[in-house]
Amino acid sequence: MNKKSILLVDDDPDVRLSLRLPLEAAGYEVKEATNPTEGLASMKKEKPDLLILDVMMDSATAGFQFALDLKSEDPKSELKAFKDIPIIMLTAIHDTTSLRFSPDQDYLPVEVFLEKPVEPDVLLATVKKQLGE
Amino acid sequence: MVEGPLPMNSSPINGLTPQGKRSLIEEELKASVAWLIRLRWLAGVGVILTAWSVNAILKLQLFTFPIYLIGAVILVYNSIFYYIDKKIQSNPAATQEYTRLAHWQVGLDWLAMILLIHFSGGVESPAILFFVFHIIIAAIFFTPRTAYIYSLVAILLVWLDVGLEFLGILPHYPVEGFLQEALYKNIWYVLAILLFFGATSLISAYLAISINQRLRRREEEVMELTVNLQRATERLQALNDGARAISSTLELSEVLNRLVKNTAEVMHVHACFIRLLDKTGQHLERVADFGLSQNFPDNGSIDVQNNPLIQEVLSGKIVNIPDTSQTSLLQYPATTIREGIHSMLVAPLIGKSGPLGILGVYSHNVNHFSKDDETFIAAIAAQGSTAIENALAYQAIEALDATKSQFVRMVTHELRSPVSVIKSLLRTITAGYAGGLNEQQRDILERASKRAEALQGLVDDLLDLAAGKADIKSHGEMEPIRLDDVIEQVVKRFEISAKEKEIDLIWENHISEITPMVKATQEGLDRIFNNLVSNAIKYTLPKGKVTVKLTRVENEACVTIEDTGIGISEEAQAQLFQEFYRAPNAKEMEKEGTGLGLVIVKDLVKRFGGKIGVKSTVGVGSEFTVILPLLLQ
Repeated sequence: MNKKSILLVDDDPDVRLSLRLPLEAAGYEVKEATNPTEGLASMKKEKPDLLILDVMMDSATAGFQFALDLKSEDPKSELKAFKDIPIIMLTAIHDTTSLRFSPDQDYLPVEVFLEKPVEPDVLLATVKKQLGE
Repeated sequence: MVEGPLPMNSSPINGLTPQGKRSLIEEELKASVAWLIRLRWLAGVGVILTAWSVNAILKLQLFTFPIYLIGAVILVYNSIFYYIDKKIQSNPAATQEYTRLAHWQVGLDWLAMILLIHFSGGVESPAILFFVFHIIIAAIFFTPRTAYIYSLVAILLVWLDVGLEFLGILPHYPVEGFLQEALYKNIWYVLAILLFFGATSLISAYLAISINQRLRRREEEVMELTVNLQRATERLQALNDGARAISSTLELSEVLNRLVKNTAEVMHVHACFIRLLDKTGQHLERVADFGLSQNFPDNGSIDVQNNPLIQEVLSGKIVNIPDTSQTSLLQYPATTIREGIHSMLVAPLIGKSGPLGILGVYSHNVNHFSKDDETFIAAIAAQGSTAIENALAYQAIEALDATKSQFVRMVTHELRSPVSVIKSLLRTITAGYAGGLNEQQRDILERASKRAEALQGLVDDLLDLAAGKADIKSHGEMEPIRLDDVIEQVVKRFEISAKEKEIDLIWENHISEITPMVKATQEGLDRIFNNLVSNAIKYTLPKGKVTVKLTRVENEACVTIEDTGIGISEEAQAQLFQEFYRAPNAKEMEKEGTGLGLVIVKDLVKRFGGKIGVKSTVGVGSEFTVILPLLLQ
């Protein structure tokens, strides 16, 4: 059986490590990117089955913007190939930005939000659900 | 001792309008007319009675019939005057009628008087002295000039009668038995009487006119004082109202706007403005105005150095510009005049540490502002300065508090990220995703994990506290929320942990007649009850009971969270809502805890317009009560 691949986009290597370990232990292939640009490059090379996206990267809204671009309804979007990839967005509810509240699904079409720090069990359960396993 | 008459053209009374002055004289004229009519009844009856008594009692021979007739005629024309007076009394604007009536009265009285003198002996008549009363009355009624004319007419009439009788042109009617000899033919006697009568008449007229003028002047002074007093009372009232309005808020812009509006209204001017010095003290910013047209240009910040008017005001002087077209003090004279500003009064706003700015009023009229107005605007400015200073101080405190909270948030956030990562990393190991561990390693890592968790709790609480203080919006917008739903969700959340501890968790909603809506944030409300219910369960021993009850007290929702827990000592209750405080018995029972939970709860309750209180007995239990205002339709 082919390993499902997950792309982790987060600028904090420690966060990536703490997520990667349980995911790999559960048998997923995990790729990492530190920002949306790298993430997109990686996706274009090989389309992942799932995206785990940090809300805060280069700028306070980089994660949000990336998710919006990926899920764009615009048929001419160059990213339409990735429209169906489920996204788990990592948030820190106590962040200083005004975006500390998870926006509505209408506003930001990501599949699910997870609050940091993420419990490994919760992470795995969520991933499983998103991958339809 | 005779004092000189007061000058006729006494200066116009300050504050007393021409209308007010005229109505005062009108009132006086009306009263005098009525008074004279009352007197004349006595005069008419007096003439008849005197004639009768002279004849019947004193047995003197008097040419009685004409005198009776004169008495009767006086009574008849007085009846007519009485009737006319009654008729024009209902007409408030009948000044002319009253003046005419007064002239008719005096004219007819003069005629009656001279006839009376003629028929009672002419120069020999004792009634001749009565003319003096008439002259006094004329002095009361009329302007000094008219009164003097009437006096001269009286003198001339008497002189004419006496002269014609002396020359034998008019018949002489002596009072038989009154005098031994016919004096009317005695040239020296006649001359003496005429001279003395003339002098007496003129002196009486002069005295009466002077006294009357002085009285009128006094009356006007009293009137002026009354008007001034009234105005002073109004202004004091206005000042008081203004002070209350201004000091009822600490919002600077609100203070300024209320101040300009109140000042314009109280001073009856069309516009008012405030300019405040900026931080450099070199520029004045236009911060509030009232009553200026849309076209009035905003000259932006004014350079103090280029503006002589402002320099003078800031030095502490009140500047009164009676005519804006005649001053060199203005920086923009053309726009000022185009706006219809013809006079202005500008006062300094001076705080404890120096000038704050200026307060000014504009009037459409030239010479609008008096000395009184200067004093008054000084009072307003003094009051306003205090209010502005308070608002500025409040603003500074708020800014400081916000900066502090912002700082705390930044620092805390910087703390939270690493703690969160530490926790995640530790969890991956303890959960076994990074390979196996021996028992001791696992134990150590689990301890570390627990401490990281506690640290994270503290940081989260601190962040909440700082966030709440810095900006309410960070907790979401306040909106109407169903209180019972929130509480129910919280209670449900704790059902399992209560069951584990064998604690009876009871939820009672006693509000059924209305939907209990409160204005709050969903997260805030959740946080309040989450904290209180979790505490209640945490500090209640197994097999205890926790009751959450919602009741309504008038317009307020009352939520009580009662437990049969360890209780809180009175000493601890006093410090319960202080940052980082934890009751000793609570610490003993639960090692974990930041001592920030209740502080956050109290903060939130206060923000939602409510109150929180606690009643507790050590070893028996505690009861926390949260009162929130209900939204009622």
